[in-house]
Amino acid sequence: MTAQGQSGARNTKLLVGLAIIAVLAIAGLFAAGLVLSAQPGKRPVPGSPAPDFSMPLYDGYRAGLPETIRLSDLRGNVVVLNFWASWCVECVKETDALEAVWREYRDRGVVVLGVDHLDTEPAARRYLEGFGVTFPNGIDIQQQVSRAYRITGVPETFFIDRQGIVRKTVIQALSRAELAAEIEALLAE
Amino acid sequence: MLSALSIGVVLGLWLAGVAMPRAAVAQSPDPLLDDRVHDLAKQMNCPTCAGRNLADCPTDTCAQWKAEIRAQLEAGKSDREVLTYFQTRFGPTVMQEPPREGALLLVWIAPVAAAVALVAAGVWAARRASARKSPSATQPAIQSEDPYVVALEEQVRQS
Repeated sequence: MTAQGQSGARNTKLLVGLAIIAVLAIAGLFAAGLVLSAQPGKRPVPGSPAPDFSMPLYDGYRAGLPETIRLSDLRGNVVVLNFWASWCVECVKETDALEAVWREYRDRGVVVLGVDHLDTEPAARRYLEGFGVTFPNGIDIQQQVSRAYRITGVPETFFIDRQGIVRKTVIQALSRAELAAEIEALLAE
Repeated sequence: MLSALSIGVVLGLWLAGVAMPRAAVAQSPDPLLDDRVHDLAKQMNCPTCAGRNLADCPTDTCAQWKAEIRAQLEAGKSDREVLTYFQTRFGPTVMQEPPREGALLLVWIAPVAAAVALVAAGVWAARRASARKSPSATQPAIQSEDPYVVALEEQVRQS
């Protein structure tokens, strides 16, 4: 091969190499984007196991539960998992109802568990104090719980049966009657 | 007397008109703290509206977050500590810019690497295309009339 031919082949290899670097770099960018927006699993639908999680509870809002709660530790109880935030207008409509069913059913194996979503602690505490809430409420650190449940917003409630299976999801504020009806149905099983 | 009263009323109204808006937009007692809150909020996203800057967002959520930034700064935390708190509490997506560590370093390196590689490839391709178009570029610019040189060049070309 002539010197000119060798030089041409070298140039072509270099060109291909540069193109590969560019493609890999862009692919890396997409991969990083996926890492940033990654959400584990799918949104739990009725009939699927409730994704397990651990969550620190607000001091003063533990209702006898440990400092950090694990959902699987509540197996054997009916769990009303409620996502809320102090800035959420709709949440205001159901907080009294959640507190009422907690007081009514807590001795019958029902746990109402609040998950505070994208909230600052002072604002959340003002909200909880304002409504006289006593049911356990936790801090959704790094949005791990809301990502695991793929919530679309707040309020959102998941009814979980004694076997840890999601039985119903509701994306709106619930009344006391609606909450009680779901709880009674799960307790009757 | 009447004109003096009129002048007094007009002057009073004018003063009230000038003073009222100023009172309404009066600066907070600590403008430096306001600036720090704003600077930090500029580096963060609104948690509920996609793609919106925390500093520019008027929602209740953002007002709460800005109040929390202010409270933490007033408590003596550094800017870095405040940002770390929000990232630890709410996750890396609260930041306008992704963190420059771990796998997310790719976000910073990849565009630069891609741009450099593409520019280099483009320059290389352009130079090759121009070299092909003008074969004289590979030929000597001045043809020698010396028979010895001509014979030597011919030999080199044939080798």
